[in-house]
Amino acid sequence: MLQKKQCVAMLLAGGQGSRLGILTRHTAKPAIPFGGKYRIIDFPVSNCTNSGIDVVGVLTQYRPLELNAYIGSGTPWDLDKNTGGIFVLPPYSTGKDGEWYKGTANSIYQNMTFIDQYNPDYVLVLSGDHIYKMDYSEMLAYHIEQEATATIAVRQVPWEETHRFGIMNTDANGVITEFEEKPANAKSNNASMGVYVFTWEKLRSHLIADENDPNSNNDFGRNIIPNMLSQNEKLVAYTFDGYWMDVGTIDSLWEANMDLLKDPPPINLHDRKWRIYARNVGRPPGYVGEKAKISNSLVAEGSDVNGVVENSVLSGGVVVEEGAEIYDSVLMPGAKVCSGAVLNRAIVGENSVIEADAVIGEKDAEIAVIGNNTVIPQGHKVAPGVQEGK
Amino acid sequence: MKKNLAGLIYTGEKTDRLRELTVMRSLAALPVLGRYRLIDFLLSNMVNSGIKNVGIILQSNYNSLLDQIGSGREWDLHGKRSGMTLLPPFATTDSSNSYAGLLDALKSNMNFLRRNEERYIAVSESSFLYSLHYEDMLKFHLDNNADITLAYTKDRDARRHGSGRYLGLDDAGVVTHIEVDPSLPRYGNTYIGVFLMRRELLIDMVDRATSQGLHHFTREMLVKSLAQGYTKIMGYELDSKPFYIDTVEAYYKANMAALEPEIRKSFFTPERPVWTKLRDEMPTQYSGESKVNNSLVADGCIIEGEVEDSVIFRGVTVREGAKIKGCIVMQDSIIAKGAQIENCILDKQTTVRENAKLSATPGYPFVIPKNLTI
Repeated sequence: MLQKKQCVAMLLAGGQGSRLGILTRHTAKPAIPFGGKYRIIDFPVSNCTNSGIDVVGVLTQYRPLELNAYIGSGTPWDLDKNTGGIFVLPPYSTGKDGEWYKGTANSIYQNMTFIDQYNPDYVLVLSGDHIYKMDYSEMLAYHIEQEATATIAVRQVPWEETHRFGIMNTDANGVITEFEEKPANAKSNNASMGVYVFTWEKLRSHLIADENDPNSNNDFGRNIIPNMLSQNEKLVAYTFDGYWMDVGTIDSLWEANMDLLKDPPPINLHDRKWRIYARNVGRPPGYVGEKAKISNSLVAEGSDVNGVVENSVLSGGVVVEEGAEIYDSVLMPGAKVCSGAVLNRAIVGENSVIEADAVIGEKDAEIAVIGNNTVIPQGHKVAPGVQEGK
Repeated sequence: MKKNLAGLIYTGEKTDRLRELTVMRSLAALPVLGRYRLIDFLLSNMVNSGIKNVGIILQSNYNSLLDQIGSGREWDLHGKRSGMTLLPPFATTDSSNSYAGLLDALKSNMNFLRRNEERYIAVSESSFLYSLHYEDMLKFHLDNNADITLAYTKDRDARRHGSGRYLGLDDAGVVTHIEVDPSLPRYGNTYIGVFLMRRELLIDMVDRATSQGLHHFTREMLVKSLAQGYTKIMGYELDSKPFYIDTVEAYYKANMAALEPEIRKSFFTPERPVWTKLRDEMPTQYSGESKVNNSLVADGCIIEGEVEDSVIFRGVTVREGAKIKGCIVMQDSIIAKGAQIENCILDKQTTVRENAKLSATPGYPFVIPKNLTI
């Protein structure tokens, strides 16, 4: 038995993220670059570090190579500890019954031994595709105070969007009375954020029961939560009113990047008390050339900007040649835009090259996406809404 | 793979002519090129050449240096079989805790030299900002059957009247003369304070030289051994431009030179990253009104005003209407609305108040010391 931990975090990072199309064809969603120098997974993991949680299990399955390499020994997030740390947990074979993770609940079920090592009182379950800053320790304190079996973080979404979310209906005390997955006519606008605190002992027995149910999808939202409710367990909603964005689609990924350009931005990444940590890549300071015109943009180190950049997010190592124009776009690490190329509402993947005079996307139109390691030839046109690349 | 080259960095340079910049820090801890300290380049040169064992000789005011290097993790120097060894001043019976020179420092750190297993050792002083591939230098050393190899540059900007060390070389690159602080250098080859030799030979030479009462490595020991003619000393020419950081003006010029693409390329290649202590800053924010040209800008800045021909370190704020030209602005400084500064060096955490004006000439930049408010 290792040193006992009050709370262990389990980060669900196994989904493909197919709604991100070409961007997740070769890499898992949590490893997607965000905000110029981060990857999506930096947000939940940094939140753990800043909340004092020092055991994080990362459940991977789909194309984990880049994600595994990125997590490494956990140094960037101070998670390379003797008495804890960050652990990549892929599905594994256990003699005759090794198998892939069948669902979110099953992935935790398969790693019960990992969790049991720390003999925790509580388990925090997180998703690997959300951009937000949240103090999990406050949510945990609420869970303890409420003596709940499960605490589910919720945020109020506009009523017209309730059909896209898992909606929690509560009584006056915040106790969850009903859970509706993507309801057509919602009774409340409290949407689940995919952040859960469970009392481990309770969750453990529910996971075992769920595994023994052949009709179950082994999913938290579809099985575990409804089953807990039907068995009269105490489930409470914990309202979070900070910025939160699910970046599971091209539009939302683009939008969340654009949010960083607002004045003031809805999520403050300058906050020295709540840093978002990322892996160090050792790039020099950014260079802004004689002819460069940068306005309302985020530009990371290692970049070399000589063209026009407006309302855009430029990641580390991005090169913009003189005469190139970039508007309302997101450029991922190492992307290069050559002279005369024009980008409007585009997302350009890692290490891709937009050759001279190419035109990507259009103003006020759908987002155009260029995959990773893709070369868009000279003068080529990529229409809005189109995804091109490997 | 095991390597046969160890590294040693000496940070005990006298730095009077850098004025306010080095009052509270050693030369090696001087912030350079937007997000580094000088030591980052010295260390990265070594680790990028495959050196896994580096000693750092500390002398005085080494707080900021220690803060920068920490456990050596950023340079992958936190290993078990090898890594970084910090060598603070050590008072022995025959030396007080202030080294008169490199030779003194080597003598005081004989244990480090003896304990290593590597056959060769590269020693770097910290008065130059340079990029060097030690693996190439070692190959040169071996190919030439040298006893000692000294790195030098032909670059004219590294020459000084009355200071510096200059090498006379024959056609084969063998060092024939060493001049120290000549009023007018006779040779165009400036020694940059980096040498490489067999470790056992260094131990032996240091032992003998100190027993003869010598204190200075180049001025006394090298000159002497050259005169005796027993040692073959080779000169190894740097293939990129180094910068001698001996005065405020030289410091200013070195930073400004990094605005030239060729110089930047010589320091920064993707295969040989320069590592530094992390700050976990977000990318720099450029507002709608910002105007930035020909400048280096590190992460974590907020730029609302105009910046031209400048080097901006991490976490700097330039407010609306402020104008900065030809400046080096170190970490976390704030330039308030409407302030105008030209050809100045702003040390860390300085504040320039609203509408303040400050202008110097590029030949004699003005230094605003750390934490000061103008």
